[in-house]
Amino acid sequence: MDAKTRPQRGCGLKAAASLAALLAFTAMPAAAQTERQKALAGATVNILAVQMPQYAPLWAQIPEFEQQYGIKVNLEEASFDQMREKSLLDMSQGTGRYDIFTVDVMWLAEYVSAGYLHPLTQYVKDPELTAADYDVDDFLPRIYSGNGMWDGAIYNLPIGAGVTGHVFRKDMMEQAGLAVPEWYDKSWTTERFMEAVEKLNNPDAGVAGYVSQPQRWFWGWTFTQLMHAFQTDETAGDEFVDENWNVTINSPQNLEALKWYVGLAKYGPAGSANFGYPEMLSLYQQGKAAGALMYTEFVAGDLEDPRHAEISGKNIYLHTAIGPHGKIDPWFGSWGLGISRDSKNKEAAWTFMQWITHKNQSLKALKGGTAPTRHSTYKSEEAKQYTPHYVGIYDFMLNTTNPDTRIRVPEWAEISDVMGLYGNQAWLGEITPEEALTNMESEIKAAFRRGGYYREGAKNPPQLWRDLSVYDAKPSSWK
Amino acid sequence: MDVGAAPARSARAGAHDAPWFPWALMAPTLIVLLILGVFPFLYSLYLASTNIILSKPYLETEFVGLYQYHELVQDRRFLNALKVTAIFTFFAVFIEFWAGLGLALLFRRRIRGKAFFRLAILLPMVLPPVVVGLTWRYLLYPHSGLVTYYSTLLFGFFGLPAPQFLSSPDAALQTLIMIDVWQWTPFMFLILHAGLASLPPEPYEAAEIDGASSWRVFWTITLPMLKPSIMIALVIRTMDAFRTYDTIAVLTKGGPGNATETLNILLTNIGFGFFNISKAAALSFIILVIIITLSFLFIRVFAKKQLDEA
Repeated sequence: MDAKTRPQRGCGLKAAASLAALLAFTAMPAAAQTERQKALAGATVNILAVQMPQYAPLWAQIPEFEQQYGIKVNLEEASFDQMREKSLLDMSQGTGRYDIFTVDVMWLAEYVSAGYLHPLTQYVKDPELTAADYDVDDFLPRIYSGNGMWDGAIYNLPIGAGVTGHVFRKDMMEQAGLAVPEWYDKSWTTERFMEAVEKLNNPDAGVAGYVSQPQRWFWGWTFTQLMHAFQTDETAGDEFVDENWNVTINSPQNLEALKWYVGLAKYGPAGSANFGYPEMLSLYQQGKAAGALMYTEFVAGDLEDPRHAEISGKNIYLHTAIGPHGKIDPWFGSWGLGISRDSKNKEAAWTFMQWITHKNQSLKALKGGTAPTRHSTYKSEEAKQYTPHYVGIYDFMLNTTNPDTRIRVPEWAEISDVMGLYGNQAWLGEITPEEALTNMESEIKAAFRRGGYYREGAKNPPQLWRDLSVYDAKPSSWK
Repeated sequence: MDVGAAPARSARAGAHDAPWFPWALMAPTLIVLLILGVFPFLYSLYLASTNIILSKPYLETEFVGLYQYHELVQDRRFLNALKVTAIFTFFAVFIEFWAGLGLALLFRRRIRGKAFFRLAILLPMVLPPVVVGLTWRYLLYPHSGLVTYYSTLLFGFFGLPAPQFLSSPDAALQTLIMIDVWQWTPFMFLILHAGLASLPPEPYEAAEIDGASSWRVFWTITLPMLKPSIMIALVIRTMDAFRTYDTIAVLTKGGPGNATETLNILLTNIGFGFFNISKAAALSFIILVIIITLSFLFIRVFAKKQLDEA
């Protein structure tokens, strides 16, 4: 190499780097920090986050935030199995070790009614702490309030939301001579579903018709959706309890749903009774099942990622099947960020939260598979290009989803466990579906009794799932 | 008594003889024990007599007397857990004892590469239980696990359906027992091997002269003389098997259904799943009583036999 040219090239590189840095900083719209935000530099924010592939693209942006705001962010991840236990143990001891918790919507009522989370609206409305272009009304109303509302206030800021459904191998469906349905196909009913998986089931070739995850711990997901789909016009809303909090899980509709679900076992792989999500996914990824249960937020990381070359591009995504009385399961799933009551850095925590949920960051994360929560991200070109499976659920999340699919009560974790224990035993054939529902009813009732529901003068939570207008309020209207 | 020498001696020994002196020496330990042992014990007793749910601080705390115990002993989940724990403990310890004894007897003989085999046998015991759980979880992973894969092929070759290790209720408990046997037989082996090594040679020589069969030697000489070691091995292993948690938590978490839900797994579910710490405290007392009764019985039975023999 010519020695003379070397310094020149070095100079050129340096100049280019500083120009790029200059451009990068001037191009950042959020760089305009308020005085209050600048004063927070040097603070540390600790997050306890659930380890799920769809949120990795969010956390990957942390270094950018740290550089911009001078606030250090420590991310500690816990598996889904451990998340609630770890959160509640820390929250109940009031250590303030974590400033932010990722909160699954199904646990919100439990955390907030215990007083463990701090309300957020005061920060949303504070121009000194929230970016001027944060645009809270850009969030879909049901995602914003559905994910975060308890007792009239917002406690949890959405980072992702989705619906539940099925994934099927398009090629296998075609081979079996089945018409390939489309998302929200009105003819994709529980009846047609059962016929399809029966045809797809080919044990001789080592391919199961459909793999589910009947393991004891997931019935709050796997069975609740079916309970909704099997209701009639008259019984919808009474999936778990009636208006007076009498437990109604042991109903003819739920029995029909349970029998249907247990009937799926014969088209599944042998010995799947203890399958959880990882076992189910691995079987589908290996091409040993033609269909599987799915949640939209898992699609990008677990199925369409280039790492899964054998199956990516061969899948079709369907909403859960429509029930025998024409009902569609209004599933609502979401995760959000909540500030701990005992956090000593609430303002710094909020500064991070409003930054990471800003539309710029959401759009970046979307490319990596994080679910949209805002109108702007759902409608973006990036969504069409990178995560087309989300585009189709926009109207559903806007108008059909019911944020209380899993009833909004502090007892949810216990209800889910009780459903799982007896549901799984019914799947195994140890008890009949009738016995399973009878046992569920008595133990859920006991959980409510322990929670003080049946005492005189008890102040039970409102049953918002019967009238969703509350969740349709504009995000900026929450106090 | 030498009056003149007494004062000097008592001046030196005075502090040692004072009634408070042993207590002063024990004080640091006693204080630590009080804080870490006695206080939590009494506090648990208090908790078990209330209705506290940790995740529901808004509920009024009430004194409920023995209600939690009363609820538990009628609870079908508790009765199931008791049954599962009993089956698990009995079969695991039973198989481990005979396998460990067999190995220990085998190792009295001259074997080539004894040191290597002894080390290899001891390996599972030194692994942390969580690692054991994870290793077996991957070995038994449905369809793709090493053990699952080859056993499916093997069974398929003979036209048999693939074995279900963790998916059917009966097989899951049996699998967990076998994993416990795999991990803890070395412990039995270690204690019984040491016990055998310490036996005096004279009775054996006498038996040889009398022309006793090896079967007879085993039942009338080895086994009775080995009793102290057997008792230690059985007591420790029974307590340990009774308390097994990590391996089960990693492998089945109590499922399928509640086929492998032992008392410890149930305790964790009640305490850290539902945060019903009052009920959990009551359950832990029941477990404590069971363990104390069991050890008492063991020691009583063995000690009595030894007394009779003496």
